[in-house]
Amino acid sequence: MPSLTLLLLSRWQFAFTVAFHMTFPAITVGLAVFLAFVYGMYLRTGERVYLQIFRFWKKIFAVGFALGVVAGTVITFEFGLNWGPYAAATGPILGPIIGMEVVTAFFLEAGFIGIMLYGDGRVSPRVMFTACCLVALGTVLSTTWILAANSWMQTPAGYRIVAGQFQPADWVAAIFNPSFAWRFPHMLLAVLISAAWLIGGICAYYLLVGRHLGFARRGFSLALGVLALLVPAQLYIGDNVAFLDLAYQPPKFEALEGNWTSDNTGYNLIVVPDLAHQRNLVQITIPKLDSVIAKDLSGHTAAPGLAQTPRSEQPNMWAVFYGFRVMFYAALVMFAAALTGVVLRLRRRLYVARWFHRWMVWLTPIGVAAVIGGWVTAETGRQPFVVYGLLRTDQAVSHLAPASLIGSMIAFVLVYLTLYATWIVYVIRAIRRGPDPADLTDPARLAEGAPGTGDTADKPGTAPAAEPPGV
Amino acid sequence: MAQIAWYAITLFCLAMYVLLDGYDLGIGVLLLADRDDERRREMVELVATAWDGNESWLVLLGVALFGGLPAAYGVLLPALYVPVLVMLFAIIFRGVAIEMISAAPGFPRGWGWAFGLGSLVASFAQGVTLGGLLSGVALRGGVFAGASFDFLTPYAVLTGFAAVALYATAGAAVLRVKTEGALYRRAMLAGRAALVATVALAAASAAALAPATATPVRLGEPGRLAAFVVLVLVAAAGLGLAGRGFGRRPDWVATAGVTAAEGAGLAGLLVAIYPVVVPPRLDLAAAAAPAGSLNFLLVGVGVNLPLVLFYNWYAHHVFRGKYRVLLAARPTGQSAAARATDPTPATPRGKVTP
Repeated sequence: MPSLTLLLLSRWQFAFTVAFHMTFPAITVGLAVFLAFVYGMYLRTGERVYLQIFRFWKKIFAVGFALGVVAGTVITFEFGLNWGPYAAATGPILGPIIGMEVVTAFFLEAGFIGIMLYGDGRVSPRVMFTACCLVALGTVLSTTWILAANSWMQTPAGYRIVAGQFQPADWVAAIFNPSFAWRFPHMLLAVLISAAWLIGGICAYYLLVGRHLGFARRGFSLALGVLALLVPAQLYIGDNVAFLDLAYQPPKFEALEGNWTSDNTGYNLIVVPDLAHQRNLVQITIPKLDSVIAKDLSGHTAAPGLAQTPRSEQPNMWAVFYGFRVMFYAALVMFAAALTGVVLRLRRRLYVARWFHRWMVWLTPIGVAAVIGGWVTAETGRQPFVVYGLLRTDQAVSHLAPASLIGSMIAFVLVYLTLYATWIVYVIRAIRRGPDPADLTDPARLAEGAPGTGDTADKPGTAPAAEPPGV
Repeated sequence: MAQIAWYAITLFCLAMYVLLDGYDLGIGVLLLADRDDERRREMVELVATAWDGNESWLVLLGVALFGGLPAAYGVLLPALYVPVLVMLFAIIFRGVAIEMISAAPGFPRGWGWAFGLGSLVASFAQGVTLGGLLSGVALRGGVFAGASFDFLTPYAVLTGFAAVALYATAGAAVLRVKTEGALYRRAMLAGRAALVATVALAAASAAALAPATATPVRLGEPGRLAAFVVLVLVAAAGLGLAGRGFGRRPDWVATAGVTAAEGAGLAGLLVAIYPVVVPPRLDLAAAAAPAGSLNFLLVGVGVNLPLVLFYNWYAHHVFRGKYRVLLAARPTGQSAAARATDPTPATPRGKVTP
């Protein structure tokens, strides 16, 4: 048995580094899809505002993507650094799945991102568009494989255990494990929605201050359109993910509902759990609602309580309950905002309702907050197991000297907080500078660097030059 | 058989990483020796177009070990915790610095230092990691049982310096291909100096392997010895070719020489210590994953490797040729990458308009 400090420090370190990493894919996957879409629209319609949108968001994307890549590289090695026994036990199943992620997705993104970011003028617009699509495809494939690996840890399948090691018995069953089918679309929609809030929020800021209106209106409209479609779909999928927990990981479900005993038919809004005495000190509940959510309108179905799970197998209710509540409350706010957007659009007030723009600015980070909340629920709810029901986290941790772990933890916190501050300052500066009006008017900038770029620049033919600026 | 095939792919990833990220880390090291902002910016821009793809080989190497050699991965990372983490931090700073410099006008000095020092520290830490591994890892019951700083042997420090010298040589060789003017001339001088250091440090590392480390060197068998001698000769010829290449046209000769030397050097090390994966004792058979995992990896990764190589080739192909050719059409002080990410027109500076 490792010491408690070692286990706790290792878990905090992993949680911190993964949460830091996660904030970037949560934005860049959706932004990659958005960039491919607007570049495609620019090629199709020739409207210059799409080019302006592309060039502005590309700047935000470039640095976010770089941060995601370097923080992701750390995680690849952390499996072995802090969780050596875990790596040795799960490597035969998770290694190949993550290996597929690297060769099918990571390299695809990394190979074409250089062209996407710096290829303007070196390659034809068609090649640029292809590069954008491949980067977007790479980010989506990446999400797919990572979710397959993580879902296997939640609902392991297709394995046999030989001498304490998980070995593959059926790859199809392992990859398409029971929770993958719902958790993958849940995550994909979550990252698309997070990016849409970022885009919507920043465009709302420009609408509010009255700058770059053509740019802002087009982006605002696209973001809210996407949200109107995806947020309701996400509520439906998320509901299914929660009931998946009820079927496969009862303790997680019990903890996220915030009950100890199995007799509460109401829905807990706030609880203050007392873990030692297995009870809630404070519990604010809407009567009957949980029964209704469980599709029993009579109000008699009670949620199962965590006390029915042996203490040695209970997750921490604080983390699971509040992780879930952050995600769920954020989802309700997002739903209300997306719906308001639809109503304002139908009443043709989308670009003039200043109160709504102000609201949207405040909601800019809400998607990312919901993603982090959701991951806290998923990962802490699986505890005390790292592979649910089979491998306990305390048996998976590397026996490192506490000094190295404390040292690296301090370094991670300092470095990551510095980088996070840098990133936020960078984004704020990019917003202050705003999109370049010259993208709309200056024909020489249309096919960037077209004359005299040497033998490699294809003809800038497809970009129509005479079109009036969009909007 | 599957074990050997996967081990070959794993080592191929290592070789590709050393070849590709080696040169862009090396350019970062050389940047520290340059005082001119315009030249420094050009070096960063050269790296900016390719580093993502180059660094991906490191991730693939990590995952190849995780999936295919989990028992080795699970012990060598805890054993090499400190240098691996130092390397990762250095890589983080330099990766972010590349994009921040690219996105900023002019040359932000602070990020320039982050890029240069990050590259230097990452290179050194990679050499130390390899040297620390070769120095031997204490195991008990298949789990790392040593102390945090066991890796820090004189041999590891030697290989750390060797990695810096080698990468700097590779960086200079690539600069010869990609640049013109002052940077092109400086790359020749820097390349020659780094090459001399590389020859000395690499020779010392090779000679000290058997006496100074716990790695069992098995050159007693005649077949191995013959292969080892041939590979050492190829590596020496490669470095010799690189020496000739700095200063003469065609410009690609130095790069070809360094590439041959890196490949032959790694192959020579493999011949000397195979089948040990984690010295002194953990060998391939004990470290490898079961056949089911290896077969999946071989098919899945094997099918994709040609594609991955194509992406790498294509990314380099798009940005092929001398960088100045592209810059000629740009306003001075602003490179292609800067313009792509920085929409502020350069004209207010009163310089040449496009």
